[in-house]
Parts: sequence; structure tokens; C-alpha cells
Amino acid sequence: MADKSVLYKNLVKHKWRYAKGLFFLIIINILQILVPKITGIVVDGLKSLSLDNKDLLYYGALMILISLMIFVSHYLSRVQVLGASNLFDYEVRNEMFDHMLSLSMRFFHKSRVGDLMALATNDLGSLRMILSRGFNLVTNTIILLVGSIVVMAGYMDLRLTIYAFLPFPFLVWIMIKFGPMINRRFRRVQESFSDLTRKTQENVSGIRVIKAFVQEKNEIDNFARLNQENFDINMALARVQAIFYPSIGLISSLSFLITFIYGGNLVINGTITLGDFVAFNGYLGIIIRPIISIGMIINFTQRAKASADRIHMLFQQQPEIVDVGMPDSDQEKQQWQKGIEGKIEFRNLTFSYDKNEPPVLKNINLTIEPGKTLGIIGKVGSGKSTIANLILRLYNPMEEGQLLIDGVDITKVPLKLLRESIGYVPQDNFLFSSSIKSNIGFTPEEPDMDEIRRAAQISQIDDTIMELPHQYETMLGERGVNLSGGQKQRVSIARALVKDPSILILDDCLSAVDTNTERKILDQLKPFMEKRTCIIIAHRISTLQDADEIIVLDEGRIIERGNHEELLAKQGYYYRIYQRQLLEEEIERA
Amino acid sequence: MEQDKKSLRRVYDRVVIKKMLTFAKPYWYMFAIALILIFAVTGASLARPYITKIGIDKYMTGYSDGTMSAQQASKGIWYLGILFLALIIVEFVFNYLQHYILELGGKRIIKDIRQKIFSHMQYLPLSYFDKMAAGRIVTRITNDPETINEMFSSVMVGFIRSIVEMAAIIVIMFRLSYRLTLVSFTVLPLIVLASVLFRRTARKVWQRIRTKLSAINAFLAEHLAGMKIIQVFNMQEKKYQEFDQINSEYYDAHMKRVVIFGIFRPFMDVVKTLTVALLLWYGGRNILAGLLEFGTLYMFVDYIGRFYHPIMELTEQFNVLQSSIVSAERVFNLLEEAQEQNVKGKIKDIGEIKGQIEFKNVWFAYVGENWVLKDVSFKIEPGESVAFVGATGAGKTSIINLLCGFYEHQKGQILIDGIDIRDIGKERLRKNIGLVLQDVSLFSGDIATNIRLFDSHISMEEVEKAAKHVNAHDFIQKLNGGYAHQVGEGGATLSVGQRQLISFARALIRDPKILVMDEATSHVDTETEILIQDALVNLMKGRTTIAIAHRLSTIQNADKIIVIHKGRIREMGNHQELLNKRGLYYNLYRLQYDQEYKVV
Repeated sequence: MADKSVLYKNLVKHKWRYAKGLFFLIIINILQILVPKITGIVVDGLKSLSLDNKDLLYYGALMILISLMIFVSHYLSRVQVLGASNLFDYEVRNEMFDHMLSLSMRFFHKSRVGDLMALATNDLGSLRMILSRGFNLVTNTIILLVGSIVVMAGYMDLRLTIYAFLPFPFLVWIMIKFGPMINRRFRRVQESFSDLTRKTQENVSGIRVIKAFVQEKNEIDNFARLNQENFDINMALARVQAIFYPSIGLISSLSFLITFIYGGNLVINGTITLGDFVAFNGYLGIIIRPIISIGMIINFTQRAKASADRIHMLFQQQPEIVDVGMPDSDQEKQQWQKGIEGKIEFRNLTFSYDKNEPPVLKNINLTIEPGKTLGIIGKVGSGKSTIANLILRLYNPMEEGQLLIDGVDITKVPLKLLRESIGYVPQDNFLFSSSIKSNIGFTPEEPDMDEIRRAAQISQIDDTIMELPHQYETMLGERGVNLSGGQKQRVSIARALVKDPSILILDDCLSAVDTNTERKILDQLKPFMEKRTCIIIAHRISTLQDADEIIVLDEGRIIERGNHEELLAKQGYYYRIYQRQLLEEEIERA
Repeated sequence: MEQDKKSLRRVYDRVVIKKMLTFAKPYWYMFAIALILIFAVTGASLARPYITKIGIDKYMTGYSDGTMSAQQASKGIWYLGILFLALIIVEFVFNYLQHYILELGGKRIIKDIRQKIFSHMQYLPLSYFDKMAAGRIVTRITNDPETINEMFSSVMVGFIRSIVEMAAIIVIMFRLSYRLTLVSFTVLPLIVLASVLFRRTARKVWQRIRTKLSAINAFLAEHLAGMKIIQVFNMQEKKYQEFDQINSEYYDAHMKRVVIFGIFRPFMDVVKTLTVALLLWYGGRNILAGLLEFGTLYMFVDYIGRFYHPIMELTEQFNVLQSSIVSAERVFNLLEEAQEQNVKGKIKDIGEIKGQIEFKNVWFAYVGENWVLKDVSFKIEPGESVAFVGATGAGKTSIINLLCGFYEHQKGQILIDGIDIRDIGKERLRKNIGLVLQDVSLFSGDIATNIRLFDSHISMEEVEKAAKHVNAHDFIQKLNGGYAHQVGEGGATLSVGQRQLISFARALIRDPKILVMDEATSHVDTETEILIQDALVNLMKGRTTIAIAHRLSTIQNADKIIVIHKGRIREMGNHQELLNKRGLYYNLYRLQYDQEYKVV
């Protein structure tokens, strides 16, 4: 479905605009071809003195009329063609973003943000270029070339036309020879540029180390080497370009030279009139510009093709996480009408992010009854966040086993409902650079101010927000206030609470607040959590010790389970973490 | 007011342009040569219509007038043809040279500016990097120099070329026929008016397009990074609408451009045709009256065509000039940032540093009077190990930052071996300090490079020896390629623990007298933890060690524990002494003991 057609579809959508644009372009070109002819007539008339002042006035007025018509057509064609290409640009960019919104986390893990951004700006830009300037150039070149040749050969002199065009094969040859070479070198320039960027980026982000190890001088030398390399590569391109453009100029000048010598002699012979000679020069002048731009067109086309391929690849990515059809029976429909109750069940679940990678979760069996709280603890990479990712259905359980929500396989639960019912507090507490209000009220339902403040109060951030100059309207991010890690976490908790979810997932989200604040948040959360199914992932035992059940994960397996007291009594892994953390915490508090 | 601002802006622009010119100064001769070549090329191309004129007036008309024979006329055409050929060859060669020399000069300037910014940036204090986003600094070095260069290779040269070309055309035209020239110039006010209007609106439109484009970029960067949150919170539709809003603003900006350019360019063509029509009409009458040769008219029409080209270029060049001034401003802002002070130090010869460290009533704030360290005093003897203990934000990292000379303290004194660190100089100071940071920055390159950093004096043997010493050798050997294993961007291929070990090796290889560690605790598995503990023992041997300690072993074995709380030193002593003191540390310890007791 969404293959080539996304680009194609959007192109075809505006075919009438292009048709209109083409129409006006043809008019422009025909009118343009007329101008040298008129000049020729005037010249001959002047030569033979067969014109009078009135005729001169007439031809002058005619020329102005023509140029006004050209002006209007030009404007109209630009609005049509460039307008269409801008619409194309706008529409495809929207579709791109829409498509990205539907793609799964698996896709975003393997793609880089910078690359995706380049698709939506640079690549789309080069497509727009070929659709606007490219379209105009190609049309102009064809019409002018054909029209001028017809007039030159048909109405003036065939032989002169042929001779005048003799140098053009060389022009084509030069373009074919130099075009790809310039492209290649241009690509190397770009690569070298990104080398420079990378080097600088690394240097800046590692500047502390550079300074601590007194490596500034070496780094300057390293940069100098890359800088020199970049210079050399740039000059390699410059050398070709320096010969390329003047060569094109030289060859087109040769046409004028031939016209001058041969055409001049024809005038002397009386084969053509002086007016023809002047008009001929005029035509050469008209067609040379588009011919010179053939090189540019080739360049545009190649870049646009590469861009189109890249964009095409994005659209070919299938959204992986989708609803599998509509609910089968009325019974199912009815079940979801009440919303999700919150029972979560893992049955012999084994999961890996990629088929070629070892599983991240191995044979997990776990049942969380509605309203109960599960605590998960374990090392980094033990699979804690994966459990959250699966419940959020950011990934489909692929291998063995099943994940059930309210007794239904998760892939059969309506996706929107599922996510609506989960309040998720991520590890990285990602916030958007908009107001605090819209960050907390981050749900399609648009909660009112009271709800937002209540959520903020529970997560102990309301006071802090009220102290800010613009309170809840305060902007976050680059152009606004920068909150501390702990404050961000609390905003992110409020964001999850405001949804009034039936399942709450806290993924290691209290790590940046001190134990005191953590206690306060957890106390406030308690009544909230009582009615909801909760999953608390944490490094600190203090965060999850009140959970109904705690599991200890190690390399994707549950190695210990039970409540806090039971686990301590086991004197196993959990007990050891507990001991170490007590000590660390107390020292931190000193 | 508005007027004042504008004229101030203009003066300011002039200052910036003047400063920019210093970049081009070493290559002034290249630009001079290029300009001379450009004049020659322009001259050659302007001579062409003149040749055609002679061909028409003297030979083609001459024969039909009967003033010369067909043979003579044809011969004349041939001679002129050869002259024509010579001209286009000159044009070609000079054009090539001119292109090349301009590129050479331009790229050298870019290279120079880049190097200058990078070198300057290396010695900026860390506080600069705190307030500037990395991306911006990168842009200063990568994109801005290219934009600045536009000013030289495109604007400056193009400007002179356009002016000279126009002047030359005007002079030739006047010499040929001042009447025809005056007739052609009756449209001049139209041209000036259109150009000024266009320049003004076009600049605004370009600015708008650029602003909107960066809005799209910013939106995408943020929302692609936060895609998980968007999907989890079912916000796809809303975010799509937000994007559509920004995207359509971008579209509108582009459409404005279509309209403005769609009017200006074709309008100039109309004016051009108008001029030609005027010429034909007025010139034609004169020819009919026998007052004018036909070739002259032909030449005029040709020159008028050429006259419009530099006008169009001039309007473009103004836009380029604007954006290079903006870039130059940003670059100069960076270059005018004060570099670190006391890099070399006052005292030339201080002999070998022994590693005694003393803080005397040190006060320090990152901004204003927001004191992070308050009246901090302590003394560490050579070879001693000291653990700093305290809550996050207590000021532990600031002590390390001051000791390494990353920031300047406001009050008090920091002494190494009794010498003020400001007198020692940052370079010497840092060479004697081995710093191990919590998050290890890895650089793209192989493992060996990351251990020795960019110091080519350090041999491979030393690298391996250091790696063995800190237990890093075994895992490095297991990597694909061993020490030549390429570390990816951000070093994603290595675990946190492995990176930690590499940073130990990095510190050890320089055999520093003072070891400073911001200990990392979290996210390390037990196996690596044991390796790290073991490595630490090796690392600390015979050195003054300062650690922000999280590990119990580091704390208990430290010669001195300094308990820091809210920027002040609260307790100091070894483990036993602090316990005997029955203060803060003691309470902590007892608490822990009780807990353990209860559980057991």
C-alpha cells in the first residue's frame, strides 16, 4: 500500500497544477521565441529602409506587449508549479511525521534522529527542487531547444544551424564526463564535513577529559589534520569545478564564433539577411542558458533520486504495533467498554528484541492481580524495563509465551485503550519544551487545571511549580526553565497520574530525588496506588519495599520473589542489595 | 528610535565587516589576482559585441553598400573571427584561473577560521561549555566559517565585479552614443525602485523561511526523541496537529517567497524588454534618418542585456552579506570569550610535585553569590588517601573541579606543596593529576588511543602495562581487534564497568602524583566491581588520592574521611576517629549497625 505511492500519490494529486504550469511555460517560451524574430524583421526593415516611424512604434509596442504577457504567464506558471511543489513538500512532510508516529520503538532504536530529520528537511527539499526548478528547467530546455531549432533551421538557414550546433556534442560529453566526477567529489566533501562535525562534537562533549589530561595541544593538532584533509578534499572538488564551468562557457562561445564567421559570410553571400543574422544570434543566446543548466538538472535528478529512495524506504517501514482487526464478538466489545481492570499475567514468556540476539526475558511467569503492586529490582540489563515495554506494548511478544491483560492476549487488546489505561513514568523522564501545564496534561482528554494541580501535589512538585515566575505556564527546555533531574522526575510522575490510569508503571523514576522526597511521594501515592495495579521498577529497595510482591531479575530470569520480609529472610541477592544500600543511603544523608 | 537603532546597526555591521576582513588579509594578493583576472574576463566578454558590431557595420554592411568586395569582406570577417577565438580562449583560461584562485583563497580562509576557533575553544574555561549547548559550538566551527567565506569569495569579489562591469558598460555605451545611453537609462528609476523593494522584502522572507525551517528541525529533534512518550500517552493525533501547524507556517513562508520572486525576476525581464523596445524605436528612427549605424544599435541591445545581470547579482549579494555578518558576529563572540587564566603559571621551576594538597578557607560559587563551597579548609599530606562523603549537591564535585583548575574559586587559597595553584599554572597542575570521572568520555578511535589519549609519546607497551595494572587487559584482549578495537560513537560497544577500567588506565599511564576520582557505583555488575576494587588498590599505591567515595571499602580504608554537608566541612578524620567522635559519621555507622543487627 504505502510503497512508492506516497510520493507518487502526492505528485499526481497536483497534476492539474502542473498541467496549468506547463501551459503557461509553453506560452512563455513561444513568446520568447518570437522576440528575436521580431528583432530580425526590424533589422531587415531598417536595412532596406522599408520601415517608417509608425512601424517602429508598432514593433516596439508589440515587444512590450509580448514581454508583459511573458511577465503574467511567468508569474502564473511560478505560482502553479512552485506552489505545487511546495504543497507536495508540505503534504509529504506531514505524511512522513504521521507515518513516524505510527512506527514502533524497534524502528526508532535502529534509526538515528538526525537521519530522520534529514529525511524531512534535506531530502524532501531536494525533491521539491527537482519538482520546481527541475520541472521548469527541463520544460524550458525542451521547448526552447525544439522551438529555436525549428525557427533557425526552418526559417533561416539549415546549414548555419547545423554548424552552430556542432560544439554541442562536446558539451554533452563534458557533462557526462565531469558530472559524475563532481558528484563523487561533492559526496566526499560532505563526508569530510561530517568528519569535522563529529570530531568537534566529541571534543566538546569530552572537554573535561581533554583538559584534565592536558590534551588541548594534541587535539588542536588532530583537528588541524582533519581540517587540512577537508581543505584538500574541497580543493579536489574546486579544481574540477574551476575547469567545468569555464569549459561550458567556452563551448557555447564557440557556437557564437561559428555563427559569426559562417553566418557573416552568408550575409555577405546574400544567403541570409542581416536581420536573420541578428535573430540567429538572439536564438543562440536564448537556448544557451537552458543548455548550460543541463548539468544542473543532471545533478538535481541524481540527488533527488537518492532522496526519493531514502524517503521511500521510510514509508516502506510497516507499523508493527497495530490493532489486529476489530473485536470479534459483542462480548469482547462489552468487556472493553468498562475499560481495563488491570490484571496482568505473563505466561512462560521469553522475549528478545531481535531474533538474532539472546533473549532479554526468559520464561517469565508472573501474575499481578488488579490493585496489587509489583516491585522489580535487578541489575542494569536484567530485563526490568523490558517488562514495562511489553506491558505498554511498545514491542509485540514474539517468541514463546503470552502476555495477558485482563485475561486477553495483549495483541488483542485495543491499543489505544491499553495505553490510555496505563500511567507510565519512564526512566529518562523525557519532557517536552512546552509549558509545565501541557507537559503534565499530556493526554488527549485535556484535563483541567484542578486535575493537573492535584496530580502535581501527589508527586510533590506543585509547590516548586508555584514558585516559578509563570507557575504552570512556565516553559520548559531550551528557551525556558531547566528543571533539576529530580524535579523532572516529579513532573513526569504527575503526567502519569493525571490520566487516572488503572495500571501505573514507575520505571526507576525516583532515582534522582532524595530518600526524604521519595518517602513523601510514595506516601502521597499510596491511596492512589491502592485502587490500581502498580509496577515499580527500582534500584533502591526503599522505593519498592512496600510492594505486595517483589521479583529480583537477573539476566532475564526471576531469581527471587516474595514480599520484602520474605526476601530479606532468604538472605539472598535481595538481602545483599538491601544491606549495601542502607549503608550508602545513610552516608549520602550525612 | 527606530532610526537610531538602524543606524547603530549599520555602524555595527561595518565594524564586523572590518573585523572579518582581517581573515582575508593573508590572502589579499590572491583576491587581487582574481580580481584582475575577472576584469580581464569581463573585458574580453564585453569586447565580443563590439567585434560583432564591427563585423556588421564594416564588412556585412560594407559589402552590401558596395564599399568593398565580397572577398575583402569575407576576409575581414575571418580576421575578426580569429580575434573572437583569441578572446574566448583568453576568457576560458582566465576564468579557470580566477575560479581556482578564488576557491583556493576562500578555502584557506575557511580552514584558518576553523582552526582559530577550535584552538581558541580548547582553552575556554569549563564554565563556557556549561552555558553553551554543544551543538552551537559545533555550528560555530563547521557552518559559520563557510558562511563567512561567502562574504569574500562571493560578495566582495562579486560586488566589485558587478560594479566594474556596470561601470564599463556605461562608459562604452556613452562613448558610442550618449543619446542612446540616455534613452536606455530612462528606465533606471524603475530598476532601482524594484531592486530596493525586492531586497527589503526578500530578506524578510528568507529570514522567515529559515526561522520556520529551524522550528521544524527543533520540533522533529524533540519529538522523534520523545516518540515513546507520545505513543504511550496516545498523543499521536495532537502532535500531528502541532506539526501540521509548524509545517504549514513553513509552507506559507515558502509561498510568500514564490510570490515575491515570481514578481521581481519577471518584472526585471519586462524592464529589459522595455529598454530594448525603446532602443529599437529611438535607434531605428535615427538609423532611418541616417544618424546611426546599425551595428551600434545591435551592440546596445546586447550590452543592455548584459547590464541587467550584475543588477540581479547585486541584490543577491546583499542577502549573502547579511547572513555572513550574522555568522561572523557569532564567531567573534566565541573568539572574544576569555580563555582560561593561569595556564602556564607564574613560577617557572617548582621541581617535582610531591602531592600535598591544602584548601585554606575556600569559598566558591558557580554563579554570583550562590556559594557551593563555604569556608572549606583541609590539608592532605603526600601519599594520603582522602574520601569525601556527603549527599548529592553537598559540594564534593566542586572540590574536584577547583583542584583540577576547571573553575576559579572566589575566596581563600588552594595550595599544592605549599604553592598557590594559580602560580603553578593549570597545565602543570593537570599533568600531575590523574582524573577519573564518573561518566567516561570515549573518543572515536581504537582502545589504545582512548587509553593514551592523543599523546603519541606513549608507547604501546606502556598502554598494555597500564591496562594490565588496572585489570583491563583481559577484556580488551577479548575484543575484536584487541587494542585496535574501534570504539563507536559514544563508545556503545563497551559496558559501563569496562569504560571505567579504561579511564583508570588512562589515569595510571601518566603516573600522576595526585589521583582524583569521582567514583561510579551504579550500573556495574559484581564481577566488574571486583575487578574495579582490585584495580583501585593498584591505582592508589604511592599517590595522594582524593575520591568522592561511594564504595564502603574506599571509605573505610581512607586515611582521612571528610564529611561535607551543604558546602561546609562537618567532620574530618579516619574511620575510627570519626566513630570515636560520636558525631554525624558515628550516627550513620551505628544506624547501619543496628539495621544489620535487626535483620540478623
